[in-house]
Amino acid sequence: MTNKKTNYKQMKTIKLLAITVVLLFSGVNMMNSQTTGLQVMQKVYDLPSGKDTQAELTMTLINKQGEKRVRQLKQYIADEGSVEKKIMYFTAPADVKGTSFMNWSYSSAKDDDQWIYLPALKRTKRISSGSKGDYFMGSDFTYDDLGERHPDEDTHKLLREETVDGKPCFVVESTPKAKGHMYSKTITWVLKDTYIGLKREFYDPNAKLLKTLTIKNFKKISGVWVILDTEMKNVQKNHSTTISLANVKINQGVPASKFTERSMTMGQ
Amino acid sequence: MRQPYYFIIIGVLFSVMLTAQENKPVFSGFVRNYTGILTKDMDQFSILQNTFNINVEYRGQKTGFKVNPYVYQYFDKNIDFGLREAYMDFYSDKLDLRVGKQQIIWGKAEGVFITDVISPKDLSEFLLRDFEEIRTGVTSVKLNYHSGNHTIEGVWVPAFTPTLMPETGSIWAPKLSFPINPTWDYSTANKNLTVANSEAFLRYSLMSSAFDLELVGGTFLYDDPAMHLTKQIDPVTRQLTSLTVRPDYHRTNMAGGSFSVPVGDLVIRGEGAFYDGRYFQTVSPTAADATIEKNFVHYMAGLDYTLGGVKLSTQFIQERVLDYEVSMNNDEVETTMTFLAKKDFFRERLWLELFAYVGLNNEDALIRPKVSYSVADGVDLQLGANLFTGNTGRFGQYDDNDMLFMKLKYSF
Repeated sequence: MTNKKTNYKQMKTIKLLAITVVLLFSGVNMMNSQTTGLQVMQKVYDLPSGKDTQAELTMTLINKQGEKRVRQLKQYIADEGSVEKKIMYFTAPADVKGTSFMNWSYSSAKDDDQWIYLPALKRTKRISSGSKGDYFMGSDFTYDDLGERHPDEDTHKLLREETVDGKPCFVVESTPKAKGHMYSKTITWVLKDTYIGLKREFYDPNAKLLKTLTIKNFKKISGVWVILDTEMKNVQKNHSTTISLANVKINQGVPASKFTERSMTMGQ
Repeated sequence: MRQPYYFIIIGVLFSVMLTAQENKPVFSGFVRNYTGILTKDMDQFSILQNTFNINVEYRGQKTGFKVNPYVYQYFDKNIDFGLREAYMDFYSDKLDLRVGKQQIIWGKAEGVFITDVISPKDLSEFLLRDFEEIRTGVTSVKLNYHSGNHTIEGVWVPAFTPTLMPETGSIWAPKLSFPINPTWDYSTANKNLTVANSEAFLRYSLMSSAFDLELVGGTFLYDDPAMHLTKQIDPVTRQLTSLTVRPDYHRTNMAGGSFSVPVGDLVIRGEGAFYDGRYFQTVSPTAADATIEKNFVHYMAGLDYTLGGVKLSTQFIQERVLDYEVSMNNDEVETTMTFLAKKDFFRERLWLELFAYVGLNNEDALIRPKVSYSVADGVDLQLGANLFTGNTGRFGQYDDNDMLFMKLKYSF
């Protein structure tokens, strides 16, 4: 069955572009000595990412033997104010090709709405927004990792300032307020000039380092900082996932008709 | 090859592909080996099948087409070559027109056919074929009008296609009980290609944040035959001397709908249909040919849920005969449940799945455990079993057909 690769029911808050396309920085002043961890993470969260985005995404799963499995998809995202709509068309591998997934994410507390179209079934199916802690398509990214986590969900502490590859960064520790979260804490290195999250460490419930997220490449496209290459490495299991974006288009206009059942079934 | 004219169709379409300007045609499909053995006699294959399935699709800005030829090769019968789909598309801003042989799937139920009545079923292997193979394409004209997330769909099927039943002698042939060996009369089974025998369907569908909805209706020939019996009784001995069975397909009208709605982490699904007249078997002496026409309802309620990484789904299904008479052969209400549990391991490389139909009337079941392993991207190995329990009923009648199987599939 083609659906077995998509892990569709847990596609809650995929928000792929939240990690891959983010963080416009436009003349934000350097923070003074009173800067807090919350202020840093709020700046990261508040930066706009464009009204709409189109991109081709390649996700490579690498196991500890170095073997690679590649997933490719096209995605379209539109910010319609109170709702962000996203549709993804899977193009490879062959057994998931033709599958499409749509997510409507709300600025209110409402749960996301999600649908999947499976070409073998020729049917669009509504799915549960499910658990944010599940892994997306067998990768090292959970849906929560890929989403925009609101700063209010964590308690933030500015640990220090230090340089990464010669670039000055804030180092912020974030601890979930809710009990039972899959991470006991995260530590994020945020560039002081652009507020791009350059690196993040994820700690498991036993406070041991579980995963490391590293931004490999980013550039400004149509006035928006876009992260083009990123890697998530599970240091406990020694496997990793890379995500690369290509043919990124920002604010080119994605019509509302893109986010319909018709579009899902047609695969374009 | 049974139907060589398909090659002509494919040749024409390939010619169109070569002249296509806007996009290139896309090829996809799979090659598969499917081997099964019966557990009651581990020396006997239940199936040994090789399949080649290819999709050729072209989609331009305003037009497109798809051709899906397939080949099933068996060890014990003739090669089966056919076209699952072969259609052309024409698009505009609000309208989509699809003409040709196509699979049309309606409803929210899974593994059960309630409002999903347009594409006939291929039951040559009972319900064991993969979902994309259990529905046959039907030659039809489909017109869709779209307005946002509202869609109105009209379908006209000029030629009737019945359910494809297992061949005589197949282990999947349904058990029919007659007091004596009958004579079969197929004079009414083949429907003429006339407008009067054509079928028409209409659907309204909505995809919204709160819920998804379908409202459907149709007038069509029911895909499963009614068995009309003619008995000859010796006037002296009062013994049955001959029995003629005449399968026939009768027109029925159907209205129904389906919905799915998210409630927290649950998705609740429902589907129902009312059939204005279906034929059932009866032993009533007032029924001249042992059939009786009754209205009929078929409905389902289902839940989808994920617990601890395990995808769970269950459905409660009932078929109810209205104005029931005790002389009828089938039960007034037949209840079936389905259960699905599915979980992945090793970063979606290994999947464990358990699916079951459970018939509550006859306490029978079809239990389908399966392990799937992704050998490489696009290459899957499946090991599984189809286990039938009970002695009678929809599933229990195949109690001798418990099987273990292996499928190796290469998708491209």
